[in-house]
Amino acid sequence: MEAAAEQKYNYDVVRWFTVMAVVYLVVGATVGVYIASELAWPVLNFDIPYITFGRLRPLHTNAVIFAFGGCALMATAFYSVQRTCGVRLWSDKLAWFTFWGWNLIIVSAVITLPLGLTESKEYAELEWPIDIAIAVVWLSYMFNFVMTIANRKTSHIYVSNWFFLGMMIMITYLHVVNSLAIPVGMFKSYALFSGVQDAMIQWWWGHNAVGFYLTAGFLGIMYYFVPKQAQRPVYSYRLSVIHFWALMFGYVWLGAHHLQYTALPDWTGSLGAAVSLAMIIPSWGGAVNGMMTLSGAWDKLRTDYILRFLIISLAFYAMSTFEGPVMSIKTVNALSHYTDWTIGHVHSGALGWVAMVAIGAIYHMMTRVFHVELWSVKLVNAHFWTATIGTVVYIVAMWVSGIMQGLMWRAYDEYGTLAYTFAESVEAMHPYYAMRAVGGAIFLLGAVIMLFNILMTVAKASSEGSIQRARTAAATA
Amino acid sequence: MADNNPFPGENNTGHIWDDDLRELDNPPPRWWMIAFWASIIWWVTYGILYPMWPGMKGYTKGIMGWTQIKEYQEGVKEVEAVRAKYEEKIAAMSAKDILADEELKSYTIASAKVLFGDNCAACHGGGGQGGPGFPVLADDDWLYGGKIETIVQTITGGRKGVMTAHGKILKPEEIDSLAKAVLDHKPTSDPNFTAKGCIACHGPDGKGMQVLGSANLTDAIWRFKEDDQLASIKYTITHGVNDATDPKTRVAEMPAFGKRLSKDDIKKLAVYVHELGGGQ
Repeated sequence: MEAAAEQKYNYDVVRWFTVMAVVYLVVGATVGVYIASELAWPVLNFDIPYITFGRLRPLHTNAVIFAFGGCALMATAFYSVQRTCGVRLWSDKLAWFTFWGWNLIIVSAVITLPLGLTESKEYAELEWPIDIAIAVVWLSYMFNFVMTIANRKTSHIYVSNWFFLGMMIMITYLHVVNSLAIPVGMFKSYALFSGVQDAMIQWWWGHNAVGFYLTAGFLGIMYYFVPKQAQRPVYSYRLSVIHFWALMFGYVWLGAHHLQYTALPDWTGSLGAAVSLAMIIPSWGGAVNGMMTLSGAWDKLRTDYILRFLIISLAFYAMSTFEGPVMSIKTVNALSHYTDWTIGHVHSGALGWVAMVAIGAIYHMMTRVFHVELWSVKLVNAHFWTATIGTVVYIVAMWVSGIMQGLMWRAYDEYGTLAYTFAESVEAMHPYYAMRAVGGAIFLLGAVIMLFNILMTVAKASSEGSIQRARTAAATA
Repeated sequence: MADNNPFPGENNTGHIWDDDLRELDNPPPRWWMIAFWASIIWWVTYGILYPMWPGMKGYTKGIMGWTQIKEYQEGVKEVEAVRAKYEEKIAAMSAKDILADEELKSYTIASAKVLFGDNCAACHGGGGQGGPGFPVLADDDWLYGGKIETIVQTITGGRKGVMTAHGKILKPEEIDSLAKAVLDHKPTSDPNFTAKGCIACHGPDGKGMQVLGSANLTDAIWRFKEDDQLASIKYTITHGVNDATDPKTRVAEMPAFGKRLSKDDIKKLAVYVHELGGGQ
């Protein structure tokens, strides 16, 4: 059957995106661990401007979100859309354009960000020529995806494809509007918006990069790979419809909660907070639907390490989609804003949810697109534990550090004056910064184990000629 | 569809993708649906209570009358009420009077701690222990004087002492000999000290003059402390301090805080610095 799939579908581009996703996971996490260490031990800056925190931080975020996350989304979307539509990708050439285009964008980010070329917009730092390239390559991805769906052999469109498509449409819209800028040179531009409007556009993009790219897209992954790996039907069609539309209509309003107690008008902030809280249940809809899919098959978690990744990702997803809305309430935000709690929250979503679900999907795809068993299943288990422990150590460090920071900044003594200087709060954070670097390093170790396992699996497939065999096994299928 | 359903007896929707992907026709869990509707009610309720909906002109204000600026002002008012009885007195008093009043002094030290941490500590250290090239504030050695009035003056107007670069005026051996004498805390033992005019600023006894901010050269406290102190002294003699004619001159400037901080904050800081240990 998988041999038949090899001939029917374009797996080549899926293979490349899959392996590159793992490479970028290691690269992005390495940069992350390095900058976390710089914060704990500033001497690691070595007074070299190219490797200071300010330059490497956007490199880290771009590497994990757009290089790792992007390649994972492209691999899984191209893989699952073909299989759920029963047709080959609409265009192989366009798929390769997407692959090379996306990777060139990643290379250009690796060059320009350390050089300090930036639009200074968080999660949208890349300068205008690269922004245009992103829009073009992203549209090539979407167009190929849409045309494949249009050609489908099935009567209905499978739920994972709704989520992928929702992401593609919204990210196009968000990326283009947020990146509107007046170029004043090849590598310099000024945002079209200014002041609080610029801030609002920035966070409208910033939060929806989370909402549509890191949530809707990865829910697309969840809806294909969880039932596939568990070999169980999705728990509820109706639940998937309701939470899909609730997320699509609700998420776009949230961005303002990043700007509580700023120059932003009162209504914008409270609207952002109200909708954020109203999004807990729609978000949990996805987590519930994924977890309930395991009904009657929970025992599989004992033996199926890939399924463990997928299910723990849903647990982290449920946790961080509860935590985020709570942090958006003004009262909590007054404490949490500008502290490490935010960083902890982001990483419980990024490491616990996004990375784990993508990792599970990648392991699942590896055996199917390379037509061999994984080089080592034991290493998958080792990866599972390092990833989980690393994530927990990381977020616990940031919770403690963040809440402590927030409390120190607002502590008053009996005279009504501030109890701590800013520098004292920085000093108090130091042990937790070290702990965060350690947590990140444990997670990185898991990623390295994965890369090794994946590369060994590719080598095994290559030495066995398994792909070639699948291609020629055609006639019998 | 149901006729060729490969999963007989399963309440799936009848659609099958990729051989075995299908969705069951289960309703969402009851608690979930209740919570879902509650979320919508929450949204609407919040919009009635708080500002929410924009219109062509303005926006709905909500019945709670909440605004973020009001919340901020109330918060500030609350702490100001605690501070008021002290602040009113401080406003009418000089820094010297504050020092004399135990209660106000305690208040001022508590209140100036963060002022010091956010404005002074970057150069002078969190506890006034100084830093490379920056004077210690916690001892009783003062360039410009440790009286409370002088400290107020220093914070308000800043300080920028000048020492002429002597590299072109003195011969290398004269610089060597002077530097050695300074290192031994006996500057006057070198006849050059008097002959070459060092006494003009550092005084006939080499103890410096607070009017000028010139350093006392007879104690073990170094204005520019370095591992190789002899080299540091030679460098200072050669290139001077804040001497615009020498591009390698030492830059040593305390910025003026008169326009950055209020008069009361400066008074508080002066009291705080005075009480770090060395006030006179």
